[in-house]
Amino acid sequence: MIVLGIDTSGYVNAVGLVDGSRVLADSTFSAKTDSLEQIVDNIDSTLRSAGLGLKDVQGIGVGLGPGSWTGIRVGVTVGKMLAFGTGKPVAGVSTLAALAYAAREESPLICAVISAGTRDAVYTACYHVDDGIVIQDGEYFAGTVKELTVMLKEPAVLVGSGAEVYLQMIIKEDSSLITKVKAVDAVPGGAAVARLAAGRLEHGQSDDVLSLTPLYLKESTAKAFINRYSGITKVGE
Amino acid sequence: MLVLGIETSCDETAAALVVDGRTILSNVIATQLDLLKKYGGVVPEIAARRHTELIGYVIKEALDAAFRTLDDVEAVAVTSRQGLIGCLMVGVAAAKSISYARHLPLIGLHHIEGHIFANLLSHPDLPFPHVCLTVSGGHNMLLYVRESCRYELLGTTLDDAAGESFDKIAKFLGLDFPGGPVIDKLSKQGDNKAFSFPRPMIRSKTLDFSFSGLKTSVINMFKDKIARNESLPLADIAASFQEAVVDVLVAKTMRAAEEHEVSAVSVTGGVSANSRLRQVFQETCRKKGIDVFFPELSLCTDNAAMIAAAGYARIMLGEISDLRLNVFPSAPLGG
Repeated sequence: MIVLGIDTSGYVNAVGLVDGSRVLADSTFSAKTDSLEQIVDNIDSTLRSAGLGLKDVQGIGVGLGPGSWTGIRVGVTVGKMLAFGTGKPVAGVSTLAALAYAAREESPLICAVISAGTRDAVYTACYHVDDGIVIQDGEYFAGTVKELTVMLKEPAVLVGSGAEVYLQMIIKEDSSLITKVKAVDAVPGGAAVARLAAGRLEHGQSDDVLSLTPLYLKESTAKAFINRYSGITKVGE
Repeated sequence: MLVLGIETSCDETAAALVVDGRTILSNVIATQLDLLKKYGGVVPEIAARRHTELIGYVIKEALDAAFRTLDDVEAVAVTSRQGLIGCLMVGVAAAKSISYARHLPLIGLHHIEGHIFANLLSHPDLPFPHVCLTVSGGHNMLLYVRESCRYELLGTTLDDAAGESFDKIAKFLGLDFPGGPVIDKLSKQGDNKAFSFPRPMIRSKTLDFSFSGLKTSVINMFKDKIARNESLPLADIAASFQEAVVDVLVAKTMRAAEEHEVSAVSVTGGVSANSRLRQVFQETCRKKGIDVFFPELSLCTDNAAMIAAAGYARIMLGEISDLRLNVFPSAPLGG
């Protein structure tokens, strides 16, 4: 099954193509502020590099987030509207799972981490590897590096963009982790998203095209503010 | 040519199918009125999230309501300029994906150009050249429309748009959101001469507008009455405020029409639904022998039919956007 995978959750646009477990293409394009401008071009050039067209694609995988809120909106909208336009099935994939997948051969325990905007704010989730597949342990977590440190007790790999920086911050919190945790720098890759999506699509687990939405993990600042002060401002749910 | 129009520049998620820029087959609008009432206005991040949730449903509904499929669509038009950046991005991401998936021509449009076309959709006989007043909560412009898609900016607001002042005054008076329809309705029970509010810039040499001073004047008068423990005749305040706005909008537009010697005036945008504005324009234009045109009410506020119509006109001029189409939250109208 040929699956196209896209992810625009961070500073790169990632586009990949897999045919079953075989990687046909895995491209990243620098896209700090112009992910929307580039993404369809990026998809087109990746398809062409593999000698394929959109018509050859049998399913679409898209990184749902967490990550940049603007970025994941672009990716999810493109993913679902490509699926709507082609009639192909779509499967949403956690960008944290895509990161963990990239580090699946490094350690049986993986902690994926993505910046949540400010220096020490992160989105994270932990995974274990079973027969080459990454399986999430527990819930997603949005919090600080300090809080993440408490979660990291066993030998593990910390994977993500800037993982080394986060590891230094973690060691500062708990020096005993210096021998237990290793950093792997990676971005959520297009082929990883495609592979994880293919795994679901091959089992008939597609997402509903119209209702697919990003994985924000945090409510908007305005909403959080109003919910917090709802008693004072008298603005109810 | 069947054009799919998509509009997400502010708080309406909208899609429409229009044939040849003339015949509306469907015009679907999902409002975020529930969110507006809750937050007292548009919160960009919340609006952008809602667009992402709704965009697919709205496009599908536009197709279903017209008994068409994507196979029938011949071009995709989308608002790419002027609006909230995160909101615009959702519409453009959807439009370029459909365009790429179906090999359809794509055209990105300025939101204001859509409003100009709302009136051309309602009145195919609207002659060129004409003067167009486009006025809503987000914009307030006077344009000389030489011919289809060719504009000259005559004036714009230096601070608040007229619709924005309606919203702010309504909010201040403790009325509902959005303020325009509420003040329009309340004013019918009030005396529009009860208070003498300023008519900002009505005699200035330019065709620019300013409404923030008027807003301050209303608020100061209101606070003053509270301080003196005097009664607050809300309907009179609303009617007098509305009359001041209407006077300025009509006077400036008529001056532009006379200076440019046009025989027709087009009034568009959300505020063009205001009943008092329509009445005064009609009376004034009748006296001057000028024809005045308003869009049908369903096309006054943001919608995608107007975008599809504008897109068709641009495509007929040989214009087309490529798949790198990007969004610009503030941009000149161009033309």
